[in-house]
Amino acid sequence: MQTRRSFLKLGAGAAAIGAFAPLTVSANSSDIKWDESHEIVIVGSGFAGLAAAVEAGKLGAKDIVVFEKLGVYGGNSTLNAGQACFANTDLQKQLGIEDSAELMVQDQLKSGRGYASEELLTHSAELGPYIYQLTKDCGCIYRDHIINTGGTSATRSHQVVERSGSGFIRPMLKTARSYGVKTKIRHKFEHLITAKDGTVLGIQVRRGYHFGHEESGEIINVKAEKGVLIATGGFGANVSFRQALDPNLGADVGCTNARGATGDGLIAMIAEGAMPVHLSFIQSGPWASPDEGGFGYGAGFSLYNFPHSVAIDRNTGQRFMNETADRKTRADLEVLRRDKEGNPNPALLIAPKHEAMKDPSMNNVLKYNVAWEFDSVDAIAKHFDLPLKALKKQIEDWNLYVKTGEDPQFGKRMNMSTGIYLTAPFIVQRLWPKVHYCQGGIQINTKSEVIAAKTGEKIPGLYAAGEVSGGVHGVSRLGGCSTPECMAFGVTAARSIMKA
Amino acid sequence: MKTVNTLLLLVLGACIALSAQARDKRDYHEMVYDSGCKTCHDQGMKAFPSDNSCLQCHDMAELAEQTKREGDEARQNPHDSMHYGQEAPCMECHGEHTPKKAICMDCHNFKYPKFKYEHK
Repeated sequence: MQTRRSFLKLGAGAAAIGAFAPLTVSANSSDIKWDESHEIVIVGSGFAGLAAAVEAGKLGAKDIVVFEKLGVYGGNSTLNAGQACFANTDLQKQLGIEDSAELMVQDQLKSGRGYASEELLTHSAELGPYIYQLTKDCGCIYRDHIINTGGTSATRSHQVVERSGSGFIRPMLKTARSYGVKTKIRHKFEHLITAKDGTVLGIQVRRGYHFGHEESGEIINVKAEKGVLIATGGFGANVSFRQALDPNLGADVGCTNARGATGDGLIAMIAEGAMPVHLSFIQSGPWASPDEGGFGYGAGFSLYNFPHSVAIDRNTGQRFMNETADRKTRADLEVLRRDKEGNPNPALLIAPKHEAMKDPSMNNVLKYNVAWEFDSVDAIAKHFDLPLKALKKQIEDWNLYVKTGEDPQFGKRMNMSTGIYLTAPFIVQRLWPKVHYCQGGIQINTKSEVIAAKTGEKIPGLYAAGEVSGGVHGVSRLGGCSTPECMAFGVTAARSIMKA
Repeated sequence: MKTVNTLLLLVLGACIALSAQARDKRDYHEMVYDSGCKTCHDQGMKAFPSDNSCLQCHDMAELAEQTKREGDEARQNPHDSMHYGQEAPCMECHGEHTPKKAICMDCHNFKYPKFKYEHK
């Protein structure tokens, strides 16, 4: 009811366009009753939205508002391992790691399998050291140690001490507020409000929204004087939407995303004629555990241990993949681990305790029944019903690879596990992929401007950044490469809006 | 006409009373119920109470102190967590008329033994 009423409020000048008529509001600015007006309107409080808010604040914007649909800030950005791949930072230099933006882009292009955008990846990678410094200026604290993530040719995943995205989000939220940025929860973005020529004038928001109660709250019209940034994230938690794009991703497949990752921003921009790209490229995380919900603790444990551990098929007792291949390679192989009836039979990640104990993730997975400790190979084989002989042989072979520095089985980069032998006691976690990230989304350019499907030109007044944008990473994104990209395009959007 | 109206009012009143009784109630909030629904429903009966509603009586900093955890569990304090600090609104985890779960449980197997009215 409230939607219809406020829709009618726009009066005779309001005209809906296209097949998505009920979703869009097109009007002359003077016909619209604005409830609020702000210089910059940002939708979403994750990495992209907050980076934009901080940058716009730094550039002198006086009236910035960030709307968050949920009751809590950060969305997906607060639910991850808190890693960001940057190339050419002072920390890398201190640790003697040689790296460059070009090398980072090459790694990402490979994982993108011909679909990634070199132009957008280069823009993001070149902003890396700036983003690294910006987060530090916000009060984010990085570990002294840089970690290895799959598919990279140099060690470049910088991680905050919390080992969680909250280590970015909390300080960035605080910094944004210190610039006077207004942050509002329970404000759900409903539609764009556009002029007849397609220019985005503002947005409709459901104020007082409670997630899952779609009619809760009231509709207000919010004017954006300089621009609207859509930073609403992906659609991994929207089962019907994702399953329409990839039939394999039904409700029985787990998901690491926050509840709010339902694609609202994407859908509203499509309704306004923006160009959707690569929507079927939906990534599952190969480090997830079926023994807890969401992202949980298991992901952090696997991430730390993949380089010096083996992933074992329970039918054969043998490895079946390069444990540090890119995410798609691993997730596609993991999901094939089945019993004779075809039911999931999750693979086992077997890690040496002497190395696993160096990371706090071990205590967490053991304490909350996400992984378990075993004294011997025999004990693992017995507990998980594995062929003992094959498993023993596999572990002996693996330790030989550690010694020689070469993995003839799957070609894993062995200089990450030099001298780290797989010996008892062992920590064992089960692996089963969960829907994690949408490579697809709305097309943007290197100014974070949203591109119209019909013309290939920008839609005036409309910007997008973060997971809601698409076409950056192609088929598969590398680990730790979304965080810096979300922030880079958030910063870029702020700069573009301030110039507009 | 007047008697009909009175009758209607009586029936209506009874319905409202019944619907209120049929709902889940927390015994420890009995005195709040005595003061009337609007004590909490500060935005009208058709809307959710505002996020400030519970804070008329409860103080987040005090709650954070009460549910304080030590050591490696320190940041699992539901009222002062690593992810949301002291900013998670009460209704994200607590329901007065419906059982709920702490949002932490979306991803973690934490144990909150003192949490009441959990939705299984």
